[in-house]
Amino acid sequence: MVEEKKEKKEEFEPKIVGFLCNWCSYAGADLAGTSRIQYPPNIRIIRVMCSGSVDSMYILRALLNGADGVFVGGCHPGDCHYIDGNYKARRRMVLLQNILDTLGIEKERVWIRWISASEGQKFADTMREMTEAIRKLGPNPISKQWNI
Amino acid sequence: MTQRILNVKNNDAVHSVNEVLKELLKSGKVAALLVPQYVPSKKVVFPVLISDPDKLDSNVFAPLLPASTAKIISRMTKVQPAKKPIGVVMHPCQIRALVELTKLNQASLENIIIIGVDCLGTFPMKTFVDFPEKNNPTEFILHDFISDGNKSEKYLRSACIVCDEPFPINADIVIGVYGMDISKEILIEAHTEIGKKILEDLKLEHAKDVKSREKKIKDVHDARTKKLESFVKEKTSKRGIAHLAEFFDKCVNCHNCMKVCPICYCRECLFDSSVFDAEAYKFIRKAESKSLFKMPNDSTLFHLGRMNHMILSCVKCGLCEQGCPMDIPLMDIFIPAAENAQKEFKYRPGKDPKEKIPMIVYHEDEYVDIGEK
Repeated sequence: MVEEKKEKKEEFEPKIVGFLCNWCSYAGADLAGTSRIQYPPNIRIIRVMCSGSVDSMYILRALLNGADGVFVGGCHPGDCHYIDGNYKARRRMVLLQNILDTLGIEKERVWIRWISASEGQKFADTMREMTEAIRKLGPNPISKQWNI
Repeated sequence: MTQRILNVKNNDAVHSVNEVLKELLKSGKVAALLVPQYVPSKKVVFPVLISDPDKLDSNVFAPLLPASTAKIISRMTKVQPAKKPIGVVMHPCQIRALVELTKLNQASLENIIIIGVDCLGTFPMKTFVDFPEKNNPTEFILHDFISDGNKSEKYLRSACIVCDEPFPINADIVIGVYGMDISKEILIEAHTEIGKKILEDLKLEHAKDVKSREKKIKDVHDARTKKLESFVKEKTSKRGIAHLAEFFDKCVNCHNCMKVCPICYCRECLFDSSVFDAEAYKFIRKAESKSLFKMPNDSTLFHLGRMNHMILSCVKCGLCEQGCPMDIPLMDIFIPAAENAQKEFKYRPGKDPKEKIPMIVYHEDEYVDIGEK
């Protein structure tokens, strides 16, 4: 029993920064909570009005400051409260991942997913999936890089 | 396409083109001309806006790009479009930048007559000022071009060596030297109706055979494309955050690369604002979590953030690199990043004035796997 606890302490717990859109993903996360669906507590949620308002800068800043993963949640394509915000977020994500790929920074740490207000279960599942994926990747090497 | 031949007198291409430009001013076809001209110290060539034909002593072939002419035109036309015609002599990369700026609503092409010059490449400012050869830089590069030599390449800026589009597109008038024997003749081409009207009134000979030029353009383009590809391959062989941190080691956070960039147009850059100022405890907290970190912080974030904002419109002119006081070879990461990103969106900046910048448009049925898996 004591040993088990010790092991758990040593396991790496990823820090994930999440940008969730007010109308879908944030409500989805809320539903997961009110429905008492359990999911890993590794995400730190920041509510934004639209996934289209998430500048690549936000994501880069989180990554360069040592976040192990960055999650962007938006409405399903076609369902955006502001008509086309998530389509623009999608293009922006393609550009960001392309640049990260060119520079050799792990683009696998940046996730974007469409989660609607009714998909509490999907939010919980996605969080579990992402936490495990990042855990496998290990800590973000940038967090050790002090000269950036 | 209307084509004319300008006969070069006394093997002096610079002076012959100057005479044509003088004619433009004298005839009143343009109210003013923006041309590169030696400053009184005779050390450098700068763009000058000139209205008096007698004072015109231009040097359109000077291998120097001291400042972005696209940005200068943006300044002149952003507040109000030009009411009288202004002729502007520009490098091909700057024309592309100007087209991008018009797409970003930062410039107007109304009454702007673009005179594009085939670019033979440009030298860094410092090399141009203290040129180690006997001739002056312009004579040197023109002589090297006429004799089909390869002597000037060692002086060229890295951006120019791998430039695959040294031919003006979207210009009204093009001053062509590739494929021409410029000790005798220079080709002057009109690419638009406005250019055609101007050209027809100039007393110049009709061009006969310019097949050699077409072939030369294709050859140069193919050779440069190959060079560009190998450059991208070479520079992306070293990647990763440790390499990136080392790359920007010398950065002094002066943000000059942003100030000289023709595309960066924000009145106040986010990174110059107070967004990144914070309470001391936040800095201490960061120091505690990392044990230590370099100050001023966020310099890599500045470069990556800037790259994310402008890379799709990057015309690879290399002014950022020339503007860097610490001689950081910025092209080594900006050219590969621009090539890859622009390829992803099948977008060539400055090519089609009607095509919108990829970040403001979308298709519903594209990138459908993003966000699903």
